[in-house]
Amino acid sequence: MPKDELKKYYDMLELPSDAPLRDIHNSFLRLKKLYSGDSIVLAPLGEEFSEKKRKRVLEQIEEAYLKLLEAKKDAPSRTALLFSDGHEPEDGAERDKIGDAPLTGPSLRKLREKAGVDLNEIAKEMKLRMELLKSVEDEKYEALPEAIYLKVHLKNYASFLGLDPVRVTEEYLRRYQAWKEKTVPTEK
Amino acid sequence: MTQTTKVREGEIWAVGGGKGGTGKTFITSSIGTYLAKKGKNVVLVDMDIGGANLHSFFGISRPLKSLTSFFEMGASLSDLVVKTDLDNISLISGDVHSISADKITFSQKLKLFRQIMKLNAQNVIIDLGAGSHYNTLDTFLIADRMVVVLVPEVIAIENMYHFIKNSLFRKVKKILKEYGFKEIVQHIWDRRQSYGINNIRELIDYLKDSFSYIGTILDHELAAFKVHLVLNMVRNNNDILLGASIKSVMMKYLGVPIQYSGYVEYNDAVWKSVRERKPFMINYLATGCAKEIEVLVENVIKGKEVSLPGGY
Repeated sequence: MPKDELKKYYDMLELPSDAPLRDIHNSFLRLKKLYSGDSIVLAPLGEEFSEKKRKRVLEQIEEAYLKLLEAKKDAPSRTALLFSDGHEPEDGAERDKIGDAPLTGPSLRKLREKAGVDLNEIAKEMKLRMELLKSVEDEKYEALPEAIYLKVHLKNYASFLGLDPVRVTEEYLRRYQAWKEKTVPTEK
Repeated sequence: MTQTTKVREGEIWAVGGGKGGTGKTFITSSIGTYLAKKGKNVVLVDMDIGGANLHSFFGISRPLKSLTSFFEMGASLSDLVVKTDLDNISLISGDVHSISADKITFSQKLKLFRQIMKLNAQNVIIDLGAGSHYNTLDTFLIADRMVVVLVPEVIAIENMYHFIKNSLFRKVKKILKEYGFKEIVQHIWDRRQSYGINNIRELIDYLKDSFSYIGTILDHELAAFKVHLVLNMVRNNNDILLGASIKSVMMKYLGVPIQYSGYVEYNDAVWKSVRERKPFMINYLATGCAKEIEVLVENVIKGKEVSLPGGY
């Protein structure tokens, strides 16, 4: 992709042209949320800016995101979960049907492997220990930090893979909490 | 009027934003206090005429001199500077009862601007008060550092958009006036529906398309139109993120780049002191806000922005 075209997409996601993948994900999620709904930031502009304009901005954001993912050759292209309005990315990649099945450690690993992302890569980018990420995927709960920290790690992990961080953290933590409640009282 | 001809090295800051009660005076005082602590010689100017209370932040209950003398007796601005109990900070009180901001005449305004620029200070910080009257906007536009203050609520955001859009409109008019297109901007804007123009951005684009050599002038002059956004009384991360959202919307919808320079957390002690008109700037450095003010002032000076919470 030509440099100035690439820059256009980075501008659209309000990022510098050397932004890492994680920032691309995060910026996309933030902007998608902003232009999807009735934010108090958009409401006061209602009369001057039509619904059409808002949708156009949203499309541009999604386009920029996909183009940038494409441009990052080794980047994961698992974006299906993010497009909740049924809008599908056009990269033609075969996508996982995650459906409504709860996301477990092993299913997260599967998604990651399908995306062709090495655990090492995430660990490096997120400045996390490999061991910790491995424990997440193995559901080795006893090796995991407190829920409040775990949540942050899960969010980063999900964002990195282009998964919906809210869903990933909620579903994972639910299982984690259930394990915790079960184990703590029986301890002798 | 050429606003760019500066007669001294000092720097002018203006703090506005449209809505009242967002903490403009608090932010003005705090910026001044921080700069003074850094060793700058600071003069604060209270242009919140009719609602002036900057002096009470510094424990001055009834200022002996104020802008009244400037407007009514033709006193020189530099004679109205009053010392505060803090080192390096003086102020000019806007405690004027006989005149309101919209009654200031054109020649008074020009004289005021000339004298503001000549004030003997390294930093002049102007508290604009509420509203988007054109006198207020013009004062905003003479500043080297344009700061808008808002709180995370919809009316404040709405007023701030209004304030920035009108400032920009005024700026465009002033630029084109200098190049001999005095009437054209207003003329087109008044008939914007028939031109298919919905907002200030489309107006600017239309002008650029229609008069090609204006385009270069506008691009050049508007590059200096840099507004710094400060969110006051934030309570959580979502509030902090609002600043980034506003920046995004301003750019994507209006093509107006703004800098999200800082935020200040809601602080009960500050709120109480303001309400009770206590001279809290003297003890201000003890409040939790001081650090956030430091970050925001440094961000404005260095052209940096807030680092967003939560990995954004």
